[in-house]
Amino acid sequence: MRNLKDALDYFKHYLRPYWKGLLFVTALTIISTWAQIKAPVYLGKAMTSLSRYLMAYSNPLTRSQASFADFHHALWLIFLFFLLSVIAMLLASFWISYISAYSGNNMQRGLFKKLQKMTIRYFDSHQDGKILSLFTSDLDNIFNAMNQAIFELISQIILYIGVIWIMFSLNIKLAFATVVSTPFVIIVAFVIIRKARYYIDNQQDEISALNGYINEQINGQKIIITNGLQVKSIADFKVLNERVRRATFKGQLYSGLLFPVMQGLSLLNLAIVIAYGSWMIVNGDVSKAIGLGLIVTFVQYSQQYFQPITQITSMYSMIQLALTGARRLTHILKQPEEDRKEDGIELKKINKGVRLQDVHFGYDPDKEILHGININVDKGKMIALVGPTGSGKTTVMNLLNRFYDVNSGEVLFDEADTRRYSLLSLRKNIGIVLQESVLFTGTIADNIKFGMPKANDEQMIAAAKQAHIHEYIESLPERYETRVDEESSILSVGQKQLISIARTLLTDPAFLILDEATSNVDMVTEEKIKKAMDNVIAGRTSFVIAHRLKTIVEADEIIVLKDGKIIEKGSHEQLLKQQGFYYNLYTNQMVFE
Amino acid sequence: MDILKPYFKKNTAMIIGSVITIAILSASALWQPKLLQNIMNATIADKKEQVLNYGVQLIVLALVGIAAGIASTYFASKIAQSVATDLRAQTYDKIQSFSFGNIEHFSAGSLVVRLINDINQVLNLVVMMFTQLLRLPILFFGAFILGILTIPRLWWIEILLVVFVLGLTGAVFARMGSLFTRFQKWIDRLNLIAKESLQGIRVVKSFNQEGNEIAKFTNAAKQLRGINLTIGYLFSLLIPSFMLIANLLILLAVYLVGSTITSHPGELAAIASYISYLMQLMFAIIIGAMTMTSSSRGLISLGRIKEILKTKPDVQFDSAAPDTELLGSVEFKDVTFSYPDAKAPALKNITFSVYPGDFIGIVGSTGSGKSTLAQLMARLYDPTKGAVYIGGKDLKHVNEGSLRKTVSFVLQKAILFSGSIADNLKQGKAGATEKELSWSANIAQASEFVNKFEEGFDHRVEERSSNYSGGQKQRLSIARGVVGKPNILILDDSTSALDAKSEKLVQEALARELAKTTVFMIAEKIASVINADKILVLDQGRLVSSGTHAELLQKSQVYRDIYAAQLAKNTGEVR
Repeated sequence: MRNLKDALDYFKHYLRPYWKGLLFVTALTIISTWAQIKAPVYLGKAMTSLSRYLMAYSNPLTRSQASFADFHHALWLIFLFFLLSVIAMLLASFWISYISAYSGNNMQRGLFKKLQKMTIRYFDSHQDGKILSLFTSDLDNIFNAMNQAIFELISQIILYIGVIWIMFSLNIKLAFATVVSTPFVIIVAFVIIRKARYYIDNQQDEISALNGYINEQINGQKIIITNGLQVKSIADFKVLNERVRRATFKGQLYSGLLFPVMQGLSLLNLAIVIAYGSWMIVNGDVSKAIGLGLIVTFVQYSQQYFQPITQITSMYSMIQLALTGARRLTHILKQPEEDRKEDGIELKKINKGVRLQDVHFGYDPDKEILHGININVDKGKMIALVGPTGSGKTTVMNLLNRFYDVNSGEVLFDEADTRRYSLLSLRKNIGIVLQESVLFTGTIADNIKFGMPKANDEQMIAAAKQAHIHEYIESLPERYETRVDEESSILSVGQKQLISIARTLLTDPAFLILDEATSNVDMVTEEKIKKAMDNVIAGRTSFVIAHRLKTIVEADEIIVLKDGKIIEKGSHEQLLKQQGFYYNLYTNQMVFE
Repeated sequence: MDILKPYFKKNTAMIIGSVITIAILSASALWQPKLLQNIMNATIADKKEQVLNYGVQLIVLALVGIAAGIASTYFASKIAQSVATDLRAQTYDKIQSFSFGNIEHFSAGSLVVRLINDINQVLNLVVMMFTQLLRLPILFFGAFILGILTIPRLWWIEILLVVFVLGLTGAVFARMGSLFTRFQKWIDRLNLIAKESLQGIRVVKSFNQEGNEIAKFTNAAKQLRGINLTIGYLFSLLIPSFMLIANLLILLAVYLVGSTITSHPGELAAIASYISYLMQLMFAIIIGAMTMTSSSRGLISLGRIKEILKTKPDVQFDSAAPDTELLGSVEFKDVTFSYPDAKAPALKNITFSVYPGDFIGIVGSTGSGKSTLAQLMARLYDPTKGAVYIGGKDLKHVNEGSLRKTVSFVLQKAILFSGSIADNLKQGKAGATEKELSWSANIAQASEFVNKFEEGFDHRVEERSSNYSGGQKQRLSIARGVVGKPNILILDDSTSALDAKSEKLVQEALARELAKTTVFMIAEKIASVINADKILVLDQGRLVSSGTHAELLQKSQVYRDIYAAQLAKNTGEVR
């Protein structure tokens, strides 16, 4: 129930701005439906008057009184009803297209905006793929439902009620004959849908197991080839594929059954209504002329009566998916946002330095990762952080620009807690070069200017030169206008890193955090990266998280982190002399030289 | 379509069943209006018995229709199940015959998409074929002919209906095609922005670019909204227009019949059934148009699968060659190799030979052809010119099993499969014993962490081997490479994530435990291969020099340059 409310809240939120339009659409739909169900009445009347005319005409005594007036009158009314129905439907349909395009757009933007404001904690604790499926799957399901189901649901319900009402007002017995099978039909529909759901889920499970296998095997195909494992790979595939075969049949059968069965039941019902109507006439329950008209009318109604049942049952799963999607999106909209501290102190530049004061932190409150860290970075100094995987190096970085906040202790910029600064100004002063360089689809220029879109080309080129990537970019046919994307192989891993260094250089931050890349690059590029890094560090207060010790021997101070505690600190020479943990790390790396 | 033929042939019985039941299904739908006409005639004529008779016929006909509908769904599901499963298996088999070149040509990602999404589209296509594609023409022509038979002189109303509905459907769906393409383009763009923004969320936030990202997204979303509106309006036009066309024509028919009813009194009973035929005719066209649109996707998918099935493996082994044990000698005779589509050859006129048991280093800058050279040894590609000999035999005359047993290749990228550590190591030697596993783990310096696991070699490997670090993956990957005691072992930069000490330990263990094995080591750092029996120096696809470290320092300028650069850097740093 709680879930349903959440889902409905989502729709309420995004449809509220269009409530007038929706009201108008509903009114139009009622008019259109009314006209639509009124038309068969007059079609029946036309038939009645026609058969009366024929009877009058075929009797020589009454031939002179036979008149088409009633017939023509009825046809005129039918024409008007048709026209009214079509015009109202057209207007409603246009309006609803407008509303769903605009509200859909708002939903997309709303979700994206929200994501931009959420905390890093959320992104770290949820897989990208899962979050992305909010766009690709949940929003998609909602749009499908909005375009095909929700409006349809309203109009079909109106149609359903309207048809029942008019049938009973025309002829109670025939109306009963039409609706009597309804409970049975609905039960059949639900049984089929439930079975279909079960077997489709089943099929989906088997297919995902197979897909997982295919994905892993094909992506590891080179291993399969080099180890000659093709036969085994095919054999394992066969087992899973056969399971899918078994599941596919029932899934397809039951999901395919709904339409023909409902269609067939509708025809059966029609047959019953026709047979019963004709029987009533020949039994003399109704006059022939009226009876014929009634049959024609009820043939139409019997079809219209079944249409909503078929439609609504087939929309059932679509609506369920949309509700699930809406619930997830509501959940997202409720996630906490970053504390941007817009009224906080403006950090203009760094005068004294950066300090970590007895910092305790854990991603999970019960699992502390940093146990009382004290680090002092004076202005203009370079501090290097080393330590084995999982020692908490990257965590320190996360605290500096408030991707996370400390559990206790303080992170201080110029002796003021980071939490007191406006987030915007804090991050403006901190430049980060991440371990894995991220490029966005677009031109190289777009990527270098990412942090400062207003920068001019001279500034961009200067940054690229400092990052030792200018020459390479110039060697490309389209130079800075070369398009890059995730897949493209124009840039190697090392070059991507140089671009991301250029990107940081362009923003000229006062304080710098460098998370050194671990990926293997060739000697020439590595040399360039080293030089580029030296350029970024020069004259700045900086914090380097190092994975290769060679790069940090020049640091003013090296801090060795292990299991969330500082175990050694000092200059390279001092630490080597201590012959402690650092000494071991260093000698292991240098063993060949 | 032709690739589906054999599968259809296999399911002939089911297809015959499907055709028959669909014919019955369509006939029952088409016959109902006829019976309606008959029963009304009987009613007008007051023939009680006939009314009863036709009434029973109507109901029986409807029941037959339901039965036929269920049966036809059964047949369609059977056919679809069989076709999709078998086609998937055939495609998978085909991919397993692919070589490196084929895989790279398609890219692994694309192969996965084809096996998963495209096969699924084909499944839908087959279901559609055997539910709609057969039914619609019967309904269309049946309703058309029966309609004319019902009131012959109104034949032209049916023609008008077909022309209008077909014309409108054609016009709208033609526009729809390009609109949907544009729609897809923008939705992809939108999803890409969202995806990159998620993956780069740290970059976005640390550069304070949330606002610009939102602007970028909003812009694309606006484009999409415009397209959505157009599509929505077009669709809005569709249904009311159909209703208008059909209703006006029905009205016209009723009017015409009414006006001349005195000369054709029988038509009074025919009107209702005539209207039914007009409606059936219209629905056949509309559903036909929708089916065409959705089957076009299936046809595209079928084409993409056909591409795989029609591809010839780049490398084809001589399966008639006898199983032989090949010794660890390697010889390249004037080998030149170009990647398909590449302008310049990746290897040019390479000639060298290596004795069994040697430790060979391969060095050179990125793009110099080191990996390519190694891949030719394992016959992952065939040379464009020249020949590669292993154990004195031309690889073209060696069967695949013998070669894989002899040459073990440890790739640069360490990939493990989900399962257990043992499962992965046994890929290097089926049925390897516990003892062999720990022997190989010892060599690869993996025992240290494997032994820490309670389950040892049975410890789980998660999907994407996410529960192992880069260094651990590489060690396991090396262990997998050595467990089969190959005569030739190729390590393609496979120790990059190991620290120098571990790398040295691996080398020492290899020399000790696999003394007879020829080891090729591709290395970024000369330091890694300084003790090699022979070092091959590659530069822009050419073998510029070879010899021991000491010899090369004497005779090779390229080698000296590389070495000097690395040495200078180290001494510079160590100071």
